[in-house]
Amino acid sequence: MRILRITCLLLLATSLLTACTEVRPWQRGNFARVEMQWQTDPLESALNDHIFFSKEASSGGNSAAGGGCGCN
Amino acid sequence: MALRIDANYESLSGASPWFTLAGSDGKPVVSLSGASGIRDRRSEISVGASYYLENGSISGNIGYSEEDDYRAVYAGLSGERHFNNDNTTLSAGFSYSSDDISPTDAKLFNRVTDEHKNSASAYFSVNQLINQVSSIQSGFSITEQSGFLSDPYKLRDVRPEDKTQLAWTTSYRRFFTTADDALHINYRLYHDDFGVSSHTLDTAWHQNIGGSYRLIPAVRYYSQSAADFFTNIDDFTQPLTAPQSSDYRLSAFGAISGSISLVADFGKWTATLTAERYVAREKYSAYEVSQPSTALVAYKRVSFGIDYSF
Repeated sequence: MRILRITCLLLLATSLLTACTEVRPWQRGNFARVEMQWQTDPLESALNDHIFFSKEASSGGNSAAGGGCGCN
Repeated sequence: MALRIDANYESLSGASPWFTLAGSDGKPVVSLSGASGIRDRRSEISVGASYYLENGSISGNIGYSEEDDYRAVYAGLSGERHFNNDNTTLSAGFSYSSDDISPTDAKLFNRVTDEHKNSASAYFSVNQLINQVSSIQSGFSITEQSGFLSDPYKLRDVRPEDKTQLAWTTSYRRFFTTADDALHINYRLYHDDFGVSSHTLDTAWHQNIGGSYRLIPAVRYYSQSAADFFTNIDDFTQPLTAPQSSDYRLSAFGAISGSISLVADFGKWTATLTAERYVAREKYSAYEVSQPSTALVAYKRVSFGIDYSF
């Protein structure tokens, strides 16, 4: 029940944030910058995922899981 | 069209929790496997390719990972499509991994010898540009695991042979033009049918310094609830089929970590130096802790990476 309440709250927050204006192609220069990428450093992200995966019970997110870790 | 090849090698050694007993005061005492108990090497290679279309792209990858006691073969396929004059992007993907587990010193310690597990994972996400300086991404993933999901190195560790994991993530990026920096905020809500739920919130500040350097301070908070079958004292009177585990990773705890990275960008070459401190504690937990684990970890990490693009 608690998870359901938190999920509803976050979905509401997300929908409020996406009250957005159309961004034209010539206005998208900032999104091409490396610091604005969803994953700025794939190698560092993979290392972090591997470390947290081996020390915590949670995994998964915006990409499908890879393989190759022996930590059950 | 883009092609990507990744190779990775790592080695580690150290002690590992073996089993837990009740001490003379009734509190759990962890027995370790010994300082030389775990030695392992891991090699991984993966190949990925992306094909770009007018309104999106299709990507695929295959990989192989090998440790002294573990082998995995995996493959994935994903695609993305842009809508609303490229203001909205939908992404979806699927991956599959087939893993073989063959613990070292199996006969000496009466461990399992050859076990197998399969993992299948799918995700769907939406990216939306909010305005000229900010964007948001929200995604959902589901992973199904089946087979041997227990820890073969523990004296008694019995887990169910099927597991479903659900994760919902939301990420936000905001660029500050005058300060020339970017704010990253990521949140993940997770639940699996072992009974573990978790919150992960991390935020990073990407500060540009001159034209070639970036300083990135970051903080991360993580908290999880315990698995239904977690026990902080192993019960050897239970039948071998009864799920139970004293693995601290299945206990309720919270963890706080902070890191700072310095990135130097010299065109085709990029160097990254990162220092991180991670501390897991029962008192940091956002969930009720009925059985605290005595084996929670804390670590310091320094890493250095070099990227070359051609």
